[in-house]
Amino acid sequence: MKFLPFLLDKIYALIIGLCSLVIILLIFMAFRVDISIILSVSIVLLVSYLLLFFISYFRKTKFYSDLTSNSKMLDKAYLVLETIGEPTFYEGKIIYDVLYEINKSMLENVNEEKRQNREFKEYVLMWIHEVKIPLSSILLTISNHKGKRENQIKRDLKRLEDYVNQVLYYVRQESAEVDYLINEVDLASVIKEVGLKNMNVLLEENILYDVQNIHEKVFTDSKWLEFILGQIINNAIKYRRNIKKSYIKIYTIRKKDNITLVIEDNGIGIPASDLKQVFNKSFTGENGRIRGKSTGMGLYIAYSLCEKLGHKLSIESEVNKFTRVSVTFYCNDYYEVIK
Amino acid sequence: MLQKCKVYRHIIHGIIINGCENMNKILIVEDDEKLALELRRLLQDNNYEAEILNDFEHALDEIISVNPDLVLLDINIPFFNGRSLLKNLRDVSNVPVIMVTSLLSEMDEALSIINGADDYVTKPYNPNILLLRIGAVLKRSNNASDTLMYKDLIINTSRGTIKRGVDEIILTKNEMIIFSYLVMHKERIVSRDELMTSLWDNDEFINDNALTVNISRLRAKLNTIGYGEAIDTRKKVGYILK
Repeated sequence: MKFLPFLLDKIYALIIGLCSLVIILLIFMAFRVDISIILSVSIVLLVSYLLLFFISYFRKTKFYSDLTSNSKMLDKAYLVLETIGEPTFYEGKIIYDVLYEINKSMLENVNEEKRQNREFKEYVLMWIHEVKIPLSSILLTISNHKGKRENQIKRDLKRLEDYVNQVLYYVRQESAEVDYLINEVDLASVIKEVGLKNMNVLLEENILYDVQNIHEKVFTDSKWLEFILGQIINNAIKYRRNIKKSYIKIYTIRKKDNITLVIEDNGIGIPASDLKQVFNKSFTGENGRIRGKSTGMGLYIAYSLCEKLGHKLSIESEVNKFTRVSVTFYCNDYYEVIK
Repeated sequence: MLQKCKVYRHIIHGIIINGCENMNKILIVEDDEKLALELRRLLQDNNYEAEILNDFEHALDEIISVNPDLVLLDINIPFFNGRSLLKNLRDVSNVPVIMVTSLLSEMDEALSIINGADDYVTKPYNPNILLLRIGAVLKRSNNASDTLMYKDLIINTSRGTIKRGVDEIILTKNEMIIFSYLVMHKERIVSRDELMTSLWDNDEFINDNALTVNISRLRAKLNTIGYGEAIDTRKKVGYILK
């Protein structure tokens, strides 16, 4: 709270005060009152008047200054009432009480939203759980009763499962609650799991799954990493080129303080203009438009999961040559602590 | 040579089912009836004796009275949570348990392993992979040896050799994975898909052509010990040992 604006705000009181002083002086002069009396009365009036101003200013300034500066400093401005004391003057009390009520109702609203959001997520998780039962049942049934269309149905089932898992991990990366577990994970075993899941498509499309000698271990959540790699492999399959020797090459680069897992394909590539945006939510880009069936969510979710795990996801590409996606695992202190 | 043995032992994990001994009994703990029935059929088709748990309220008693060689335990079952059932089961029995769940999470997996599960699979499971996992867990619990028998052949999976009398041939890793899989399922036709799954599960990510090449090389090697006709091709279905 600044003094000058405060003073200007009280300009009418000042004018009225000055006017009444002038009138009193004029009355005194009309009655020819002694000059010393006039002086002393005016001094008393002036001093008490100024005193009133200053007291009123100092009573308010603490409350209002704290209110304005604290609400600017806090990253959650709505918590400001917790940082200031209750004011001692009437107006302040009104403001304080109203702010308190507003806060309360806002928090109730937010909590209600949060509750609904949480319930919705719980429902989605339950739904995913339920939908996987018929999925398993169909998969087993077509395997038990082999028929012509077995592979076609299996492929569609795989797609269905992928979409369901995308929702699962979207919910997971959105939740504030931590439900990952960092462990020492053998990269080769995760790559194997992802390979097995995609084996039929890879064989059918005659894409070489070329895993080079990988024996590194990293600290991560193996299920999350499996999903992340799954998204990358899915894209490599989806955006392959119509050439004879399609491949997905997987290898690691070891540096002093990090390990990078590289997944490289010789597919259609990504235009440079799209490259920066592929990790954005709902971004489909040119390839998505040409090939269709792109939700723009896969890489976004993968990127968010990597961020939560402390890995770095990056991408390089050249149209009609290659796409190279790298996951970098840092061997930093954080993991040392967990060890 | 010693070095080589080690490598093979590591490589061939998960494909050795002791099919030549008595049939293993597997108990299915799954409350979705249709799924349980299909699962039983899959297991029976693959030469396991399979039973479905009926009484979820007294699950523990039923498991003990059935006395299975392996339990496939779903986490979400009525009355008991699968995990607490596992905990109670571990107080009285060491029977191998594979946990089944639909929400894959590292936390779930870790908790199950701590509670004494031997492995963990997530729905929807690929049947071939599920069978491989079951085989691997049973092999571990039965302490099956690295040696398989087929007629008068002695197959050493960890050394990668086949002996017939004084003759011995050495197989590559891929050939051994294929041949031992065929031997372990000698009573039925093995699909290319199964062989492929078994190879990929052992980190051999080969393609269709390579599988064909491997099989013809394997045939050629078997020919040198008089078993050139052993692997029979069933068109569009797969292979079977004669």
